[in-house]
Amino acid sequence: MPYRLTRAEEEQESSDRYPMGRRQSSEEYVKSQLERNVFTGKLSDVLNSAVNWGRKNSLWPYNFGLSCCYVEMTTAFTSPHDIARFGSEVIRASPRQADFMVIAGTCFIKMAPVIQQLYDQMLEPKWVISMGSCANSGGMYDIYSVVQGVDKFLPVDVYVAGCPPRPEAFLQALQLLQDSIQEERRPLSWVVGDQGVYKAEMGSQREQKRSQRIEATELRTPDKL
Amino acid sequence: MSTDALDRHAPAQSGIDRALGLLDGFREHIEHVQPTLTGLPVLWVRRERIVEILRHLKAPPASFSMLYDLSAVDERLRAHRDGLPAADFTVFYHLLSVDRNEDLIIKVALTGGDPNLPSVTRVFANANWYEREIWDLFGITATGHPHLQRLLMPPTWHGHPLRKDYPARATEFDPYTLTVEGQQTEQEALKFEPEAWGMQRERDGSEFMFLNLGPNHPSAHGAFRIVLQLDGEEIIDCVPDIGYHHRGAEKMAERQTWHSFIPYTDRIDYTGGVMNNLPYVLAVEKLAGIEVPDRVKTVRVMMAEMFRISSHLLFLGTYLQDLGAMSPVFYSFTDRQRAYKVIEGITGFRMHPAWYRIGGLAQDLPVGWQQLVQEFLDWMPPRLREYELAMMKNALVRERTRHVAAFTTTEALEWGVTGPNLRATGCNFDLRKQRPYSGYENFDFEVPLGQHGDVFDRGQLRIEEMRQSLRIIQQCVDHMPAGDYKADHPLTTPPPRERMLQHIETLITHFLQVSWGPVLKPGESLQMVEATKGINSYYLTSDGNNMSYRTRIRTPSFPHLQQIPSLMRGGFVPDMIAHLGSIDFVMADVDR
Repeated sequence: MPYRLTRAEEEQESSDRYPMGRRQSSEEYVKSQLERNVFTGKLSDVLNSAVNWGRKNSLWPYNFGLSCCYVEMTTAFTSPHDIARFGSEVIRASPRQADFMVIAGTCFIKMAPVIQQLYDQMLEPKWVISMGSCANSGGMYDIYSVVQGVDKFLPVDVYVAGCPPRPEAFLQALQLLQDSIQEERRPLSWVVGDQGVYKAEMGSQREQKRSQRIEATELRTPDKL
Repeated sequence: MSTDALDRHAPAQSGIDRALGLLDGFREHIEHVQPTLTGLPVLWVRRERIVEILRHLKAPPASFSMLYDLSAVDERLRAHRDGLPAADFTVFYHLLSVDRNEDLIIKVALTGGDPNLPSVTRVFANANWYEREIWDLFGITATGHPHLQRLLMPPTWHGHPLRKDYPARATEFDPYTLTVEGQQTEQEALKFEPEAWGMQRERDGSEFMFLNLGPNHPSAHGAFRIVLQLDGEEIIDCVPDIGYHHRGAEKMAERQTWHSFIPYTDRIDYTGGVMNNLPYVLAVEKLAGIEVPDRVKTVRVMMAEMFRISSHLLFLGTYLQDLGAMSPVFYSFTDRQRAYKVIEGITGFRMHPAWYRIGGLAQDLPVGWQQLVQEFLDWMPPRLREYELAMMKNALVRERTRHVAAFTTTEALEWGVTGPNLRATGCNFDLRKQRPYSGYENFDFEVPLGQHGDVFDRGQLRIEEMRQSLRIIQQCVDHMPAGDYKADHPLTTPPPRERMLQHIETLITHFLQVSWGPVLKPGESLQMVEATKGINSYYLTSDGNNMSYRTRIRTPSFPHLQQIPSLMRGGFVPDMIAHLGSIDFVMADVDR
């Protein structure tokens, strides 16, 4: 599986611009795994997946909403959709206690510095879900006051399409984030490894599901329920 | 023009005569009487006397007690001005008299590179934010305004976005970047300076605490910021700060066709769905002269009322959650899910269906819709009874909300408060009864009223409104008229598909209308509706093009937030949270 490396402490080059840290795809990681002997390789794999299993099943969301998408996100938290099934019902009002932030709504130029500050206040490990077209790319709001996608300054882990996405789509995004966390490699301790954060390249759902989707040839007409 | 359209103009003529009579002493200052399709008298007056004229109109006998709206138009590129006084910018004041159920629009022409006019904040307190808005977005100075700062755009912004020479698209500017330094500058600019607002930092040797609540706070319902000046737990003063949700919808309307702007209206009051389409398409239909079939009217009412219920359910859950009750939101969202089942079944989308069209609907009701709606109508009444018993009759809720953040009808009108918040003070003003639109005159329903105008009444009243909405929907189910779901009119967009393939002419017309959009005659129209949160209106100016020259969106939540400081001075912090929960606002409905 191809991995992407994010170093926590980066040598200062052009890094006065958000998102901080440099991302590069890493072949070396896989090589170094091969070079190591079978026993320690397996041991760190077991440890890593145990830690990741813990992390992914108790993701605490940050209670943060910008606009319409937040209503659908909240809907996912209530009983008909019940996000507690996935271990994410512990909504935190403080970024310091939260594991991931959902950019649910339009990212405004006036709001962007505030979002950045809140993101900075979250502790590692932390993740970002970009929910809805506005947060993904500006969506239908190509207008003077809107940032054309939150990834202009935040590193995004999962993008959810929709305007707004259904609560089910948000739940799927959460599961995709969980899958990606399971594949992540973070330092097991401050003395082990190179302190880099290796994120797996998970691939786009659109491409993975394409063949399955184009099989549908007959669509229901809208004049019947 | 049909007879109905003629009737629409008849009250305007008598209204003009009455308005001119009321302004008898100011005859020489009236420059022009503008004929419009708004249905309201529109008078142009001289800039110098605007304050006196508004003061005269506010007092009896005119008693236009509410400044309903105030905004501006950049006239510099307008081609069809047909005898209007010369102007680079126009500022308009929309006055509303609740007692006489009558409106009046006063316009002032401004010329020159530095447009300015006297501030009317001394006459109408709620002119404050509106004048800040026209300074922010048009660069029009209100001389004598107590605090003329930017309202919607960040304090570091350059330029005035609603001017015609300001680019609309983000992609016309350099791509957005955020640097460490830029981040610090922006955050520094948002820092609150009490002195700038004439506030003291201390009293009798003890310092006040300045609490910054927002722009992200769990009980602020979105990106809303309010800075509180506190003495212990008492609020001495507070300053709401908005603009964290400004999506430039009014500018967007100037570059989308009449037809393709409809989805943007859904996202104004984003809990209101198609309720937002209604004032827009009705205003466009006035411009186009379209009269829609009865079936269209009734389906529109039915879906709008579905969204009123869904919005009120969201209100109920969050309102009680702000008071500290955790479970109501789980109950009310279960009901919302049921409402969405109906909405999705009929329109195919949950929150923003954009389902109304100019001259009709996107499609007809699906087969079997009656049963779907009836299931919801049978489900809701026992739930509402339960809410009333478990929540509104709960002693803790009553103690917590009775006489908290109460205001009178006079205060409400002074601040431009409309909708359930106004009716909670006992004022019987519901546009569905007072000025029926889209066939509301055919329905049998009551307008629930409150007595005390407090947090409790605002909650209780909305439960009652849901019952009335259910009654309206039941009547729609029982008496749905047969007929077309689109008007037979050349400007109906998109035109009926069956006619598209008859010959090449119809195909060309269809193609042009869908690709370029319909071209509407020059003119101005306005439609107010009783939306979920109060009175929402679209004031459209057409310049004979396929898109609007200016679209003014008057939203109810804007004045509701402006009222907060006058109400909360001397109150407590938790009372303010209760008040925020009870006025039911969403930030998109404030900042647009």
